[in-house]
Amino acid sequence: MHINRRHFFERCGTGLARIAFASLLAESAGAAPKQPHFGGKAKSIIYLFMEGGPSQLDLLDYKPKLAEMNGQTTPPSLLEGKRFAFMERMAAPKLYGTRSKFERRGQSGQWISNRLRHVGSVADDIAIVNSVVTTNVNHSPAMVMAHTGSMVPGRPSLGAWLVYGLGSEAKDLPAFVAMTSGPRGPRNATDIWGSGFLPTEYQGVPFLNGPDPIFNLQNPPGVSTERQSRAIDAIRDLNQTRLDATGDSEIATRIASYEMAFRMQASCPDLMNLGTESASTLEMYGATPGKASFANNCLLARRLVERGVRCVQVYHTDWDHHTNIERGLDKVCPEVDRPAAALILDLKRRGLLDSTVVAWGGEFGRTPMREGGEGAAGRNHQIDAMSVFLAGGGVRGGVTVGRTDELGFKPVEDPVHVHDLHATLLRLFGVDHTKLTYRYQGRDFRLTDVHGNPVRKLIA
Amino acid sequence: MKRLLAILLCAAALAAQSGPEVLRAKCQGCHNAKNRASGLALDTRDAVLAGGNRGSAAAPGKPGESRLVSAIRHSGELKMPPGGKLSQTEIAAVERWIESGLDGMNGPEAKSAPKHWAFTPASRPAEPAVGDAGFARNPIDKFVLARLEKEGLAPSAEASRETLLRRVSFDLTGLPPTPAEMALFAADRSEGAYERAVERLLSSPHYGERWARHWLDLARYADSDGGSRDEPRQIWKYRDWVIRAIGSDMPFDRFVVEQIAGDLIPGASPDQIVATGFQRNSLLQIEAGTDREQYRVEAVSDRVDTYGTVFLGLSAGCARCHDHKFDPLAQREYYQLFAFFNNVDEYGPALPPFSETNDLEVTHRPLLALGKPADTARYDALREQMLALYKERFDYKERAKPKGGDAGLAARNETIAALKKQLPKVELSLVMRNLPEPRETFIHLGGDFLRRGVRVFPSMPAGFHAAPVSKDPLTRLDLAKWTVNPANPLLARVTVNRIWSHYFGRGIVETENDFGTQGAKPSHSELLDWLATEFVARGWSQKAIHRLIATSAVYRQSSAFRADAARVDPRNTLLARQNRLRFDAEIVRDAALAASGLLEPKTGGPSVFPPQPDGAMDASQVKKSWKESKGADRFRRGMYTHFWRITPHPALVVFDQPGAMMACTRRSRTTTPLQALTLLNDAAFHELARGFASRIVKEAAPDARIGLAFQLALARDPLASERDRLARLYSVELDDFRTRPEEAAKMAGAADPELAAWTSVARVLMNTDEFITRE
Repeated sequence: MHINRRHFFERCGTGLARIAFASLLAESAGAAPKQPHFGGKAKSIIYLFMEGGPSQLDLLDYKPKLAEMNGQTTPPSLLEGKRFAFMERMAAPKLYGTRSKFERRGQSGQWISNRLRHVGSVADDIAIVNSVVTTNVNHSPAMVMAHTGSMVPGRPSLGAWLVYGLGSEAKDLPAFVAMTSGPRGPRNATDIWGSGFLPTEYQGVPFLNGPDPIFNLQNPPGVSTERQSRAIDAIRDLNQTRLDATGDSEIATRIASYEMAFRMQASCPDLMNLGTESASTLEMYGATPGKASFANNCLLARRLVERGVRCVQVYHTDWDHHTNIERGLDKVCPEVDRPAAALILDLKRRGLLDSTVVAWGGEFGRTPMREGGEGAAGRNHQIDAMSVFLAGGGVRGGVTVGRTDELGFKPVEDPVHVHDLHATLLRLFGVDHTKLTYRYQGRDFRLTDVHGNPVRKLIA
Repeated sequence: MKRLLAILLCAAALAAQSGPEVLRAKCQGCHNAKNRASGLALDTRDAVLAGGNRGSAAAPGKPGESRLVSAIRHSGELKMPPGGKLSQTEIAAVERWIESGLDGMNGPEAKSAPKHWAFTPASRPAEPAVGDAGFARNPIDKFVLARLEKEGLAPSAEASRETLLRRVSFDLTGLPPTPAEMALFAADRSEGAYERAVERLLSSPHYGERWARHWLDLARYADSDGGSRDEPRQIWKYRDWVIRAIGSDMPFDRFVVEQIAGDLIPGASPDQIVATGFQRNSLLQIEAGTDREQYRVEAVSDRVDTYGTVFLGLSAGCARCHDHKFDPLAQREYYQLFAFFNNVDEYGPALPPFSETNDLEVTHRPLLALGKPADTARYDALREQMLALYKERFDYKERAKPKGGDAGLAARNETIAALKKQLPKVELSLVMRNLPEPRETFIHLGGDFLRRGVRVFPSMPAGFHAAPVSKDPLTRLDLAKWTVNPANPLLARVTVNRIWSHYFGRGIVETENDFGTQGAKPSHSELLDWLATEFVARGWSQKAIHRLIATSAVYRQSSAFRADAARVDPRNTLLARQNRLRFDAEIVRDAALAASGLLEPKTGGPSVFPPQPDGAMDASQVKKSWKESKGADRFRRGMYTHFWRITPHPALVVFDQPGAMMACTRRSRTTTPLQALTLLNDAAFHELARGFASRIVKEAAPDARIGLAFQLALARDPLASERDRLARLYSVELDDFRTRPEEAAKMAGAADPELAAWTSVARVLMNTDEFITRE
């Protein structure tokens, strides 16, 4: 982890100029679109978050030497000082070579496993980073780190920082949406799409898997659209009277918020209706209207971005393959591979990929060593190397950045810490990660804490 | 070779710098008495000997054993200076100097900068002279008015009596005045009517609730652990303790002492021990495979940070990784504070892993049992037995590796289950409890718990008022007493400032969580000191401060916007008027409950489960049930809603309830469409709208209904235009429901078009900005 000492001074040295808002009572003004620090191509991000920790060694980080040494006892020197969850299971572990077949894909010839054959078909659009490093071996803190730059809950998430920094361009939708598929919800739900100490208007709104993505989208019993409209008219008139009497501009914001709520009610059914997509599009994603899935969520993510949503987190929560990794990957890769690739293709053909970052990755990687018996091989958590891929929004396509040693234990070239990844993502939006700060409890906080450098090789 | 070196060294010594000169040129930029990077100063002999966070820097006469030498030689882990290695001659000079016993170093000249205002004791300011003699009702007003007059601004007129009573009722109790209270107040034109209303409100049990909730924000109170599992926890007894303590106006110094160290007070009562729950509101992570020490350290750090924020108004957390850059808190001092809190058992007895017992309350919680003495004694005894059995069962499993159907294991399971059944019904609360053997505390280099620096012992930071002198190791109780010592310049200032902020939406010091040198300067520094000294002089009575503020003319001003004042003071810092403030999340619910007539006014008790939208619990990793409360518990005040940290009640979240992850000194106040959807469509609010409508119909004759509706919702009479607007809505809705009786039945729960139309009116009133705003 690199600590640039000067950042300490910059953080604690910033004076009162940063104190929150122009007006105590008008925080909502914060959601209006704002200019970034410098030019950036990205306007939106769709983060396909693979919770549990996908195995980079079976998907994106090709290690023929590891396959050669399969079954051999791991040289102890490689394990010295390493930390694993469930340490007790890791005595004298054996190396485990991948069972997946890797091929060079695209013009760029990037190594990609056949388990992600659809992703391979967009190899020239994506940048693969095989040297991502994080700090904690357990899911919960690693999740919180991957989203907020700190392993302790309570800090704002990437999406919240983006909306805080750049505002919202969605007229009738929240600026930041989170969607989930897989066998259960992601860990630390509200922490990972939360706004931390930022005002709550910047937090992600979790979409529900069902016809109504947001709580309270349906009118109460006995209230038709006309009745709702009449009520909102009357509310507006009473609020207007009060605005005239008090002169408090926050009432004008309140009036506008009711108009937007009404529009959200009207537009959400349309947003959620995947039936309006062509059969070929549905086929491309593998989406089935009305049937919750990662594929549906990817398609919805595109529809959200089309409507100006700044950040869409799409979770799939089935990647924690301590045992039976082959069976696990047999199940989860087909669920994810095709929709992820379709999303990139679909955005591209609609001219949206230039302004939309698509990121794919989990909270940590998995070990080159086998966990569990021979017949039920799995891989443990690994924080010294994982793979992430990025596309669109100013990302340089067709490159692989970062290299791990020949067995995949740790980066030997271009290590990219999660903080660096965050700094890079902000940079794609034209945001300087050291300047996007918020003062709380006497300190200027930022997504990257006191760390992070944008990875130039990833930026076109 | 050796000789050659010696000759070279001698030759260099003739021309080169001395050791102290090298240090001055190359090291003291960071390592001086003021900056002390890594706790180390290298500008006096004593400082070099005292060393820094890693220990002594030099051993006189023994350069080979001196950390300073290994650092500049780059022969150990630490390599200094960061900019590049010193030359051989420079290194040699430092070695010679150490060899010689560190002679010939003069300390820097002492420079004394004026002390930052917040760290100097508050002196009692004289009340200023003011031009407008008629405005001031108490000294607060003179301080504010004098400042306004300096800008040529006049204060605003007093708000209407209706606005005043509604304002002060919500501010003191979080509930609106009843129509009867309003009528009484409107009729009472005698001297002191308003002051009497304030007294009535201060003695209401709801006063304790309202101001307890403000305190619970600081205490990061929640009913679950946070973290990936977010297990439920028992700590509502602490919440109730806060309600009672504030309601009975417990002197604030005692209030603080009991929360920091109630368990250490000789002969501590159960209540005093429950009070230490303040510190037990930290997060707890029990994910399988977790490094417990790491999370234990996080919890202790959270306690230090919370202590700094709440009682000193300082960002102590800055000093966790390095010396505070601006305030007098060295990293060493951070860990000296840490040592006070480092001596408790984080996970309770925690013998076998949680997954082995699935019995969090018995094995993993430092809980105090409360109830009849016979029951609590029996509970404690049984728990001891169960713990022993869990441990024995765990050992057995490790030893015998029993397969399914193992008789030994089955017998053990049965014994434990039988004991569990015998546990008497008691109430439990998480508390602080010192370990019999104090844990050793070390500086964590760079804030990393795996990188140990020197050992430290509990002590107070030196940059403040004098610390107690004691032969015995200092305890949390010493820290608590030091904190409330009237010589502490911060506690009273920070506390009155926070109280003030709840009345005006902003503190006299706007950075209410940072009174350090980087914080905002007070807008009215003399007023702040006057209030702080008054607070102490009145025996730390919070009610005395509430009474002063709530009866002041400044507080009683109208909140209407004034263009003339805004030109001079756009943010209304000088208070030429009151501010309109949207209610806190819980109060939004309380206002609706009060209007509906369904409010259950009971105070205290276990948290409750009012209705919430389906799917609200879906987001968590371990899905929790949400069994809707029935009967009166369905209509308890918002502060009693069970707070799951990971899946908090959506209606509270959208109105900015803090997440209870760390101390929250100021809530944000946003206005969003999700708030509109909640008030318009949420089933819980709709239920209250129905209650409100049936009250309107029941309690008033037809032509008085709009008037009553306004009184119940907004505690005032409608303007003619407002009355007309609602009358128009009512008649359109009534006609509509008459033609659609099935919709009326759905809307009002009964096929009654009138009631349904009034429900429409009730909904509209409950959705106005004014309904959720303190004017």
